[in-house]
Amino acid sequence: MAATEKPDGALGALMRAALALPILALAPRAGAAVVGEVGASVLGYKERGLMKATEPILFGHAVIDDVWEVEASAVGDILTGASPQLVTNVNGQPMQVLTGASVYERRHAGDAKVGRRFGELTLSASAAVSNEHDYHSKAGGLEARRDFNDKNTTLTLGYGRANDHVGSSIDPNLDAPRTTDQYLAGVTQVLSPVALVQSSLAYANGRGWYNDPYKFTLTFYPDQPLPSLLPDLRPDHRRSWAWLTRYRRHFAAQRGTLQADYRYFQDDWGVRAHTLEVAWDQQLDERWSLRPALRYYTQSAADFYSPVIPRPAPRFQSSDQRLAAFGGLSPSLRATLRLDSVIVEGAVGYVHDASSLRLGGSGTSAFETLRAVYGILSVTYPF
Amino acid sequence: MALHRYRFRAMAAENEVHVHEPSADRAAAWASRAMAEVARIEAKYSRYRPDSVVSRINAAAGGAFVEVDAETLELLRYAGACHAQSGGLFDATSGVLRRAWHFDSPRVPAREELEPLLALVDWHAVEIEGSRVRLGKPGMELDFGGFGKEYAVDRAARVLAESGARSALVNLAGDLAVVGAQPDGSPWRVGVRHPRKAGMALASIPVSSGAVATSGDYERFVEVDGVRHCHILDPRTGLSARGFQSVTVHAPSCLVAGSATTVAMLKGREEGLEWLGALGLPYLAVLGDGAIVNRFEGTGNPA
Repeated sequence: MAATEKPDGALGALMRAALALPILALAPRAGAAVVGEVGASVLGYKERGLMKATEPILFGHAVIDDVWEVEASAVGDILTGASPQLVTNVNGQPMQVLTGASVYERRHAGDAKVGRRFGELTLSASAAVSNEHDYHSKAGGLEARRDFNDKNTTLTLGYGRANDHVGSSIDPNLDAPRTTDQYLAGVTQVLSPVALVQSSLAYANGRGWYNDPYKFTLTFYPDQPLPSLLPDLRPDHRRSWAWLTRYRRHFAAQRGTLQADYRYFQDDWGVRAHTLEVAWDQQLDERWSLRPALRYYTQSAADFYSPVIPRPAPRFQSSDQRLAAFGGLSPSLRATLRLDSVIVEGAVGYVHDASSLRLGGSGTSAFETLRAVYGILSVTYPF
Repeated sequence: MALHRYRFRAMAAENEVHVHEPSADRAAAWASRAMAEVARIEAKYSRYRPDSVVSRINAAAGGAFVEVDAETLELLRYAGACHAQSGGLFDATSGVLRRAWHFDSPRVPAREELEPLLALVDWHAVEIEGSRVRLGKPGMELDFGGFGKEYAVDRAARVLAESGARSALVNLAGDLAVVGAQPDGSPWRVGVRHPRKAGMALASIPVSSGAVATSGDYERFVEVDGVRHCHILDPRTGLSARGFQSVTVHAPSCLVAGSATTVAMLKGREEGLEWLGALGLPYLAVLGDGAIVNRFEGTGNPA
């Protein structure tokens, strides 16, 4: 008999058991019908000696009269400190990579989404802007979501367009546009009262400027007195497919939820990537829960990726590490504390990307192993 | 926006559905779906119908496993959670005690009558294996009476919400759930029945979301030598709950509200108030001596 359980756990235990049933359960409220939350979070990121970023974010979300859904977020400021024009010799190879970003960058970004429910159909529109002195982006989207089969099946269709402008602090005249159309189709299926699976396919068709204006490849050839320097040269279009599947299953006896996500990505640049993340969200008591997670990532290199400038110089060439073949492991741990009027959440994670972690063994040998830690702290007030 | 009211009989009681909706046709269609859902649950879990799931399980008590569906399994798991959380006071096998209690004649069953029945009250003898259920002892009975009606309220509310209702209320013999506030944003006002004065309300509580359930000693009872014995029976002793005239709780779901009130009644005055306080849900309790403990905010006097 569980009479030894703390009495303050009774409501939680009963609610969890009740929620396994297909019923309507809404927080008991006496007053008017607006529910939602507002909060703030801050993100810190440190890549050994390379970069530090903090992102204070404000966010809010509300459902009004159970019909309107409104959500918005704003990134006040990003401070990015990156080592400019870093020069490295990798493995004694005849190459150097120049990489850098404008130092202590400020970014302002915000997004908003409004949705309205018409019975089983929900239509929503979203807009987002992001501005840095060398990068401007505006995006908009439309989404339709329809419930079927007693809300056990939900279909989602979405379309979005992003208009970006890339500038450069090196070249003040650079103002290169890029347009991306995105299409999404997804389905969410409730498998049982405690399990659901969600799968979506997204296609993006982008046209315009993809070159990184700060990235150059520098190569010393033995027969040449001076090194060759080539700016980043990428195709002016990119078509990509991404297939994401998520699985969630709640184990009532263990008071935990298994979360497994798999994502496959491929584009016409030759990048093929797999991401697998498995997490376990464990309820410790009525206030605390812990969520350890492990993510594995692996990708192949883009066709035109090369850490050195090949001879003869090709039409497209980039030494951007993000286009190399590599793999990564990222464990993380999130703790959530639910108090009466506020939810505090803290997460820490570690990122380890290396060529040796690529699926099947060796990635690009020139890939510079990346080790980084990050932390997120957020405070949310539900209302 | 017009308020449409529908009355219907189900689960041996007078029930009602209220819907705020301009179109009378639509309101009627939604309400009839909600009523059909109540009827479905009644047919499925009634112990008076030989073809119900409950009757099939009870008929096989002490014998073979009975295959049940997911809904029944989850309801049994819910009953198990209630049993655990209440320290055994909420027991879905305690219905057999009714064989000794007849609320139409003023007598209290003797210990010799209750003892053989108490041996059959044993939630731990309910065996669940995969999707099969078996009552371990011959003569045992499962009874969904302690939560079937509350579940029906929750389901009817969900059916109304899924049909498209924005502002509706379903009330099954005093246990109710709402879908949204009233169209002008004001809460529904729910009257709490006076446990001793029939037809009188002793308070009016505002509800714009969630569910409200009440347990009272006035539904079915007998009075013997000036002592009231009500139909809420303690699975350990077979005797009636003492200490409260009625308990009303506002919770996210009617299932939870109903379990909270029943367990409070069974725990009695001191422990019951402690239990209600620990749950943290708004409640109104009328103690055995008529004193009122009101933990609702914004309660109005109906007078």
